[in-house]
Amino acid sequence: MRETARAALPSVASVITSLVVCFLAVAVLRGGLEVALDAFLAMTWGAFGDFPRFFDGGTSAAVLRPLGESATKAAILTLTGLSVAVAFRVGLFNIGAQGQLIVGALAAAVVGAGVELPTALHVALCLLAAAAGGALYALGPALLKRYRGVHEVISTIMLNWVALSLVENWLVTGPLRATTTGDNSIAGTAQIHASAELPRLLGDVSRLNAGILLAIAAAVALWLWLTRFVGGFQWRAVGANPEAARASGVNVGRAFISAMLVSGALAGLAGAVLILGTEQRYPATIGAPYGFDGIAMALIGNGHPLGVLASALLFGGLRAGGTRMQLFGVHKSFPELIQGLALLLVAARLMWMKVSDRLLKPKGGP
Amino acid sequence: MLLALLSSVLDAAPAVVFAAVGATLSERAGVVNVGVEGMMRAGAFGAAAAALVMPTPLGVLVGVAAGALVAALHAWLCIQGRSDQVVSGMAINLVMLAFGQFLLEAAFSSPAGTPAITQLPKWFGHSPLTWLAIVLPFVVHLAVTRTPWGLRLRAVGEKPQAVAAMGVRVTRLRFGAVVLSGAFAGLGGAQLSTAVLDHFESHMPSGLGFMAVAAMVFGRWTPLGAAGAALFFAFGDALRISLASSAPGLLEVVPQGVLLALPYALTLLVLSLQRRGAARAPAALGQPYDPELR
Repeated sequence: MRETARAALPSVASVITSLVVCFLAVAVLRGGLEVALDAFLAMTWGAFGDFPRFFDGGTSAAVLRPLGESATKAAILTLTGLSVAVAFRVGLFNIGAQGQLIVGALAAAVVGAGVELPTALHVALCLLAAAAGGALYALGPALLKRYRGVHEVISTIMLNWVALSLVENWLVTGPLRATTTGDNSIAGTAQIHASAELPRLLGDVSRLNAGILLAIAAAVALWLWLTRFVGGFQWRAVGANPEAARASGVNVGRAFISAMLVSGALAGLAGAVLILGTEQRYPATIGAPYGFDGIAMALIGNGHPLGVLASALLFGGLRAGGTRMQLFGVHKSFPELIQGLALLLVAARLMWMKVSDRLLKPKGGP
Repeated sequence: MLLALLSSVLDAAPAVVFAAVGATLSERAGVVNVGVEGMMRAGAFGAAAAALVMPTPLGVLVGVAAGALVAALHAWLCIQGRSDQVVSGMAINLVMLAFGQFLLEAAFSSPAGTPAITQLPKWFGHSPLTWLAIVLPFVVHLAVTRTPWGLRLRAVGEKPQAVAAMGVRVTRLRFGAVVLSGAFAGLGGAQLSTAVLDHFESHMPSGLGFMAVAAMVFGRWTPLGAAGAALFFAFGDALRISLASSAPGLLEVVPQGVLLALPYALTLLVLSLQRRGAARAPAALGQPYDPELR
């Protein structure tokens, strides 16, 4: 228990510090503590349910709609976060989740629009295509690392831009652009068939879809794999010390490649959830840097699958609620500032470790 | 046609040249700098915001200082805090992306960009920063290869313990290199908002920082190589833009997206074709300095 607390403390402390700093920033720049308090309350209600309105005689939608939006965002953040976290576990830094997400999203959009199948099969095929696309796109850096010694940080950064340029500046605007009918020129690829859409969980109240279930299942499965299976243990051994792992008979190269494949597949799934759940086509541009958010989720979640899930649920919520801050003159991207600052503080892990050692040191011990 | 092309390269390239040359300094000292994008953003915002209340050249200096300040944070996290250098750099990118947007909204009540400022004056048809971008890589090259400081800088990125044994303070040298790298990135960002455009735009520098990192790797961690690669990338980009207007037929054959992907694909190709053990990244790159190790 003490160990868990010690491991979680830097993340929790960072998130709280970041929230306080950003609260003060709003107070200073937007005139007063009351404004900041109102803005943060609006964000909270927008994130986790508008309880004041609900208890004031509002409908259940006042609570369910914000929660649905939050969970929709959290699903994508969880999957990209897991993608980065799983690579971390073998000691690789997958900065390429964004590129893998783009490839996965495109694969899902193409299969979703180009194939006709019964519902369950169609969704499964789209998810499979996205996972395979993401995994293949991550295989390159893994092979380059294994056989040519190219650092994965550099290769994945390059591949992010290659994917972005090829998909959003060529394929989506060129060969794969939806055929235009009449005056309606649709940006992006053709609309996916209804059979490929992820089922909605709350009907018309919210856009919440089965993506969140997929994300939770992925987090739990990864957690079990890392803690209960030999393969997962080997990954962790490689991440902790590749030389020691090699000496004790672990095939380090294979661990690198298999973890990178899983990492890419998870990022690809994030892309699929985005397309099959909310966008229904590959839009002109994905716009948001979900893959880079994954880095934040992985680190704030301390590389632990359930930590990533918790972190994604929190920040998915804040980001869904962030749109309500616009009423107080704060841009809707403000939660991303909270998230970035929390990540920066988590990076100063050593500092927090010193604090936690002081706090959690057994009384009377050395 | 060719002259117009070269002229547009002279306007577009300096931002990436400054940032790429700066990045080599940090990495040669052994500190990974993937935060160039964030540092450029700080420079671009700082310069444009400052130029609203002071002469633009002074605003550029503010941009340089802003880049250096962000780099100092990176240096503190990596050197004093011994954080993971890639994590710190990416965190800086994410923070600056959101912080820039927040400041735009808070200070100028406009999500799109700052109000227009007076652009830098033009010397011989181009901004002074263009001419500086031509000279600076050579200056940095000489400083890195011919001065005692440069020798120590390179040594500290290869075998810091050996340099420490000579009585050089590793942490101070690295800190200086990272801050200088940020100042260069800030200058590059300032060039975008004061010379290329006349205001800060909410998306600036929209990936040019990563292009600078690519140029640094492509140029094999040398100032002249990085500057050359940055020029080459900028030339390719200028060619693409000019082809789009002059020969749209060609772009049917080779789509724009393919051309946009080319600098990154080329960098990756060069990296993967290179022999193991050939000229590559500094040996101690990414490793926090631990005085206890020998």
